Amino acid sequence: MDPTVDFLAAAIRIATPLLLAALGEMLTERSGVLNLSVEGAMLAGCLASALGAHWSGSPYFGLATGALGGLAVATVFSLVAIRGRVDQVIVGTALTLGTIGVTGLWYRWAFGAEGLGLTLPTVVWTPTVIAGALVVTVSVLLRSTIGLRLRAVGESAVAARAIGIGVERYRAAATAVGGLLAGLGGATLVLGQVGTFAERMTAGRGFIAIAIVVLGRWHPIGVMLAAVGFGALTALQFAFQAVGIALPYQLFLMLPYLVALAALAGFGWRARAPADLGRSLS
Amino acid sequence: MTAALALHGVSKAFGTNRALNDVSFAVGRGEVHALVGENGAGKSTLMRVAFGLIPPDAGEVTIDGNAARVESPRVARAAGVGMVHQHFTSIGSFTVEENLWLAAGRVGHPSGRPPISNATAVDELRAALWRGLDRTAAAETLPVSAKQRLELLQALATGADILLLDEPTALLAPAEIEALLALLRSFARGGGAVVLISHKLSDVFAVADRITVLRRGRVVLEGRRSELTSPEVAAAMVGGEIEPPPAPAATGAVRIEAGPLRVQAGEVVGIAAIEGNGQRSLLRALAGLEPMASGWRSEAPVAFLPGDRTTEGLIAGFSLTENLVLGHDRDARWTRGPWIDWGEAERWMGVLIDRFEIKAGSPRVPVSSLSGGNQQKVLFAKIAASSPAVVIAENPTRGLDFKATVELHHELRRLASTGVAVLFHSPDLDEVLSHSDRVVVLRGGELLPVRSTATRAEVGTMMAAGVGG
Repeated sequence: MDPTVDFLAAAIRIATPLLLAALGEMLTERSGVLNLSVEGAMLAGCLASALGAHWSGSPYFGLATGALGGLAVATVFSLVAIRGRVDQVIVGTALTLGTIGVTGLWYRWAFGAEGLGLTLPTVVWTPTVIAGALVVTVSVLLRSTIGLRLRAVGESAVAARAIGIGVERYRAAATAVGGLLAGLGGATLVLGQVGTFAERMTAGRGFIAIAIVVLGRWHPIGVMLAAVGFGALTALQFAFQAVGIALPYQLFLMLPYLVALAALAGFGWRARAPADLGRSLS
Repeated sequence: MTAALALHGVSKAFGTNRALNDVSFAVGRGEVHALVGENGAGKSTLMRVAFGLIPPDAGEVTIDGNAARVESPRVARAAGVGMVHQHFTSIGSFTVEENLWLAAGRVGHPSGRPPISNATAVDELRAALWRGLDRTAAAETLPVSAKQRLELLQALATGADILLLDEPTALLAPAEIEALLALLRSFARGGGAVVLISHKLSDVFAVADRITVLRRGRVVLEGRRSELTSPEVAAAMVGGEIEPPPAPAATGAVRIEAGPLRVQAGEVVGIAAIEGNGQRSLLRALAGLEPMASGWRSEAPVAFLPGDRTTEGLIAGFSLTENLVLGHDRDARWTRGPWIDWGEAERWMGVLIDRFEIKAGSPRVPVSSLSGGNQQKVLFAKIAASSPAVVIAENPTRGLDFKATVELHHELRRLASTGVAVLFHSPDLDEVLSHSDRVVVLRGGELLPVRSTATRAEVGTMMAAGVGG
């Protein structure tokens, strides 16, 4: 096949889970919640989609269970960090670490220590669906009343409350949508890319999604460009290998962070986070 | 006489904005020199240059006649200059004593305790400031007036005898302001030098020996207080005469009823109260944001101007248009079901920008890029856009300069003249007295009617009676 087509196909395939998770995290952060458990939600989505697809035989059912897996993690985050007002960074980090353990344990319990022989039915995740997710995000966030209120909650919880907006309801809802999208992202990793489940298989993609939100300047279009850019950077690795240039994959894993750091550190990248990001309503 | 502190031909530009343009200013010992002007006139910048916080582009600073390179606050303080900033700088979780040690640079420094003798003007001032202050109390637990006194003590911690004060009376009650001004007076008499930044002309004329007016980075008026009049200084500040407001037009239809407090359509009623006497709850209850006492009533639709406009009233990071739509997000002028017609909303915001003469580049710029006065106008425009029957304003001129304050009261009066009932509160008694048709005092959560013939002193006594300290 044409290497350019291969490259583009790989770039989009790699970008898909990241884009879904990053769009979810962007919505969450625009409501003022810094949810660092994206990695955990993606991983939970991976396992839940694998289990769902395995037992039902349908990859589409797997996508649904994957999304619910992500929602489960986000719900715990919501209860502890938003309702319980425990520090968001601590809760997010603890949840990610906890999910790594729980998914590993669950997988072994379901499929034995080896976990071999799990071959899952796959889906072809088309760019059309990504485009759909983008259109919905853009219109709801930037053109609707709900979106305006959501952004108000993230910019100034006090001002939002003063005009009668239920700050914590909006934040919990945005976190839930973020969890659904992260879980769906994990599901596409399993059902659209890898075809099986492995422990810790997200390998930092949740954190990359968080970096993508920053790089994409908390804007849906920016997030899309950043995710596709990362997909392309990673796909480049395969292209290099195909022509005989071997580079350690870790280098490519580092790349988006380096790009984000460099961008934020001063190439005139004026990024502005939601003003109330990470702050509980006092 | 050699000036204690003098600035000669100081200029300073921030980008293309010339904040100071060849400004000379001097304060002598024994003198209180008031520096007045609008927000952005350069008052704070000038004092920051004198204190070594900002390097000037041109000009020099002399202290006691010696040219000094005041390149940092450390140098200024070593030379005997102390500054009280506009915002509190004490650390809330530290005790009074710890804050003073921090200011003095050493744990156990004697400034952490009240002075033993009253030998010098500084000691005398410090002794007066210490009155009622507990050195082991955490700064955050202090009432506002005690916090302000702590700020002064911090400035004096290194033995300063030249004091620069940036708006020190902004948050104080009338009696506290008088007490503070009296202290500054006697500090100057004892040989200290005081620069007082203010835009309250009543403070300035009560205490200053000299007055300098800055406008747009230049000195436009300078002279002895005895040779100047208040209207003359006001006109110099704003660069022209100030037009009188529209006349009162009460119609008799009562829109707000809360015990002795009644506001008719067309009327402006002021609430006089010292900070912490229940004004926050009262105004919010009448605005429908908190539960109302039985028998109270305020006619809907009520519009509320919260006192803290950038945290409660507006979202600083949002554009003007976004702020307009937020809170009016069911208004048929710019919504179509769940969707917002941003083009239409922007057009309306443009109309309001013209109507209220808001200085903004476009409806799309963030509110944070506007001056305080223009932010207040945006909030005002947003309220007016909803055609309210009642407007309740909480300290609406907080942080506004002289001209913006006058304009705001004109707008309130104009709203009233269209049949709106206006109720407002300000911690500044003079503002309440001069801009309302009637006044009600709030003390300890209780509303007290005020006779129309009551004098300023009588109202002041009503406000303070039974309040300790």
